[in-house]
Amino acid sequence: MARIRWGTSWLTQGRPDHPPVVFAAKIDNAMRLVALDTFAERLGLKRGQGAADARAMCPSLDVIIDDPAADRAFLEGLADWCDRYTPLVALDGKDGLFLDITGCAHLFGGEKALVDDVLSRLFLLGIEARAVISSSAGLSWAVARYGSAAVIAPEDAERVLAPLPVAALRLPVETVALLERVGLKEIGDLLQAPRAPLARRFGSLLLLRLDQARGHADEPLSPRLPVPSFSAERRLAEPLQDEEHILELARHLSGDVRLSLERHGEGGRLFELLLIRVDGRVFRIQAHAAVPLNDADRIAALFRERLQAVHNDLDAGYGFEIIRLSVLRSERLDPAQEDFSGVPDESQPLAAFADKLCARFGPDCLTFATLAESHLPERAGGFAPLTDVATVIGSRPVDEKACPENRPLRIFTHPELVEATAEVPDGAPRSFNWRKTQYRIARAEGPERIAAEWWIDGEGHPTRDYFRVEDQEGRRFWLFREGLYGRETSSPRWFMHGVFA
Amino acid sequence: MAEKAVQRETVLSLRETIAQIENRRLPGVVRAAKAADPAGFRRQREEASRNKILPLGVPPLDDVLEGGLPLAGMTEIRNAETRDAGAAAGFVTALAVLCQRRKKEKGHLAPVLWISQGLASREAGFPYAPGLKSYGLDIERFLFVSIRTVKDALWVAETALSVPVFAAVILEIRGNPACLALSESRRLHVRARAGCLPLLLFRQAGEEEASSAFFRLQIKPASAGERPLPDGSMLCGSIGHPAFHVLVEKSRAYASADIFLEWNAHDRRFYPIDQSVASQADGQSANSVDPFSASVGRSNGADSLGNLLAYARAS
Repeated sequence: MARIRWGTSWLTQGRPDHPPVVFAAKIDNAMRLVALDTFAERLGLKRGQGAADARAMCPSLDVIIDDPAADRAFLEGLADWCDRYTPLVALDGKDGLFLDITGCAHLFGGEKALVDDVLSRLFLLGIEARAVISSSAGLSWAVARYGSAAVIAPEDAERVLAPLPVAALRLPVETVALLERVGLKEIGDLLQAPRAPLARRFGSLLLLRLDQARGHADEPLSPRLPVPSFSAERRLAEPLQDEEHILELARHLSGDVRLSLERHGEGGRLFELLLIRVDGRVFRIQAHAAVPLNDADRIAALFRERLQAVHNDLDAGYGFEIIRLSVLRSERLDPAQEDFSGVPDESQPLAAFADKLCARFGPDCLTFATLAESHLPERAGGFAPLTDVATVIGSRPVDEKACPENRPLRIFTHPELVEATAEVPDGAPRSFNWRKTQYRIARAEGPERIAAEWWIDGEGHPTRDYFRVEDQEGRRFWLFREGLYGRETSSPRWFMHGVFA
Repeated sequence: MAEKAVQRETVLSLRETIAQIENRRLPGVVRAAKAADPAGFRRQREEASRNKILPLGVPPLDDVLEGGLPLAGMTEIRNAETRDAGAAAGFVTALAVLCQRRKKEKGHLAPVLWISQGLASREAGFPYAPGLKSYGLDIERFLFVSIRTVKDALWVAETALSVPVFAAVILEIRGNPACLALSESRRLHVRARAGCLPLLLFRQAGEEEASSAFFRLQIKPASAGERPLPDGSMLCGSIGHPAFHVLVEKSRAYASADIFLEWNAHDRRFYPIDQSVASQADGQSANSVDPFSASVGRSNGADSLGNLLAYARAS
């Protein structure tokens, strides 16, 4: 917010001349402050105070209407950015993030160095944050908000926890008020008190929170994103801007991923390229593969098409500093051995073609023909996105579905209204007007009566009488009359549904 | 003597290159020189050239096409008006069926890829699976791509031509878009030749335009025959096998004007139909013989004014 108000001067030393900033939202039918900057805090303003009261205390107050959606988006963006430290990032309420850094800290030179790195980078991004590393999520939460320590060793947990106020235990407001009324102001008081009476009086949540803070009870974090099964990452000293370089790097990373894929005997179906820009913006580019892949060149080729497709959305700005390639979904890949006949596997080039197409035009682009058992022509045949390339190539047993003869080669998705004249009301048409041209019919075959499918459409749908007609120049069309004359309708309409060869 | 032989070799190879660029058959001298090679090589070459052609089984058409449909390269099939798209689609599909069957005889179950500009399939209708199946196509191996712009469709076609598994690639374009001019068609043609795939450029409602295709055929609708009855007579007033009226617009051979065929989906092959019967059925086709003399080695008939294409503007 400061950045929007003051432009780039937020980086300067000291605070620009500006009245204190507070955020207000409507709570309990009154405008109350929900967030305030340090300057406003120093004036004695408090959270939960009425906006009018605050204005009375400080007339120059800059009150901004709270926007929870924007806050949320900002926190999500921050969580994306935190992906650089660990894949396990969980959102915590409206203003916090949990990072599970198990096994990650040594990559950054220890826990203390990790915290310093997080805070200094966030400061450079213009964000004031507090971070604590401890053995339990509850303890970190408490100390980050009410204490002052960066790294807490497991054995120090109780010592650090004791002087903190009970509000640090993530309890409902009423419970906190109740505890304070009976004089239990600090967590240390609770630690010494017998557990049974506490549970009886304040509920089991208090004890649960207490145990969680001490690390006695397990608290599962729910990460925002699933952890990729395989990933490889490259941190760059010099930011990358060029698409070519990104691709080249992606190819190198695919080589790394390939090793671990091969070790597990798997191939990736869904890949993700994560690009973190210098200013903290995160881009995720996903690419599907038609068959399980573990070939570096093929993986890189997926992203070549994908990058071209998203070219306009990908704003390199000052360049990307971290590039990570992850495998989000993988399948078993049986290693294929080339046989002596020298015939290459035919599904591979087709799969590569399907991948290229899907990466560029979306997964629904390449379709294969499907047949359905339905009387209505528009339901009987259609196209579905191709998911398994092997079905097209392989010689799987063909399930012979009964397919009616005399169906047109091309069909209109929406039958087109024509004006037709027939000799007898129930008979075949003599001539019709279609797309502003008159056609005189030389021969006609029909009718083929197709009733509506009442179990899908419900009753009352008109029956269709299909005629196969040929005009005087030899064009063959498929016309139908909607509704039975006299029984269902008095003035049936004619439609053009398809053309024959 | 040795010098002469080298010169002769150079000339022959140059003539062969020229013939390849012009999509011509090898000149007689070159062929004779090649035939002088050891027997093993010659047989293989002959087989290779025979492999690149798919006879259609209709003698007049095969004569014009110099043996049949070229299996490595581009063939253009167009229809004059949108309402004739059904007939042209039928002819294109029939060619695809033949290509697919040929691959099957060799033991490959090859898919057919149909790339369609979105506008084209909306105007003339989408391919309809039950119809294609009863037409003889292996519907399990039919892939369809609908693409919004011509440029993207060309990209897909070019990519597909490098995939050796397809039996045929059909590229359906509506009209004469500027981004499919002579150079682009040349590019597609070269790709198709390199990939040894038949590319059927299906130009819907398009004008006659210079292109690099081997042949250009215009398909017009023709009245179908009648259904045969078991006793050998015909069922009066019925509509039998689909029939086509093929006009060869570009070919190297002497172009005969009209060829009438019908497609028998059951036998999966073309049959010639008697022209007099066909022209009796509709009176107009008798007049459709081109009044100009047929030209050899270039497109049939002179372009009307303002239709000259593939020339740079003078001003």
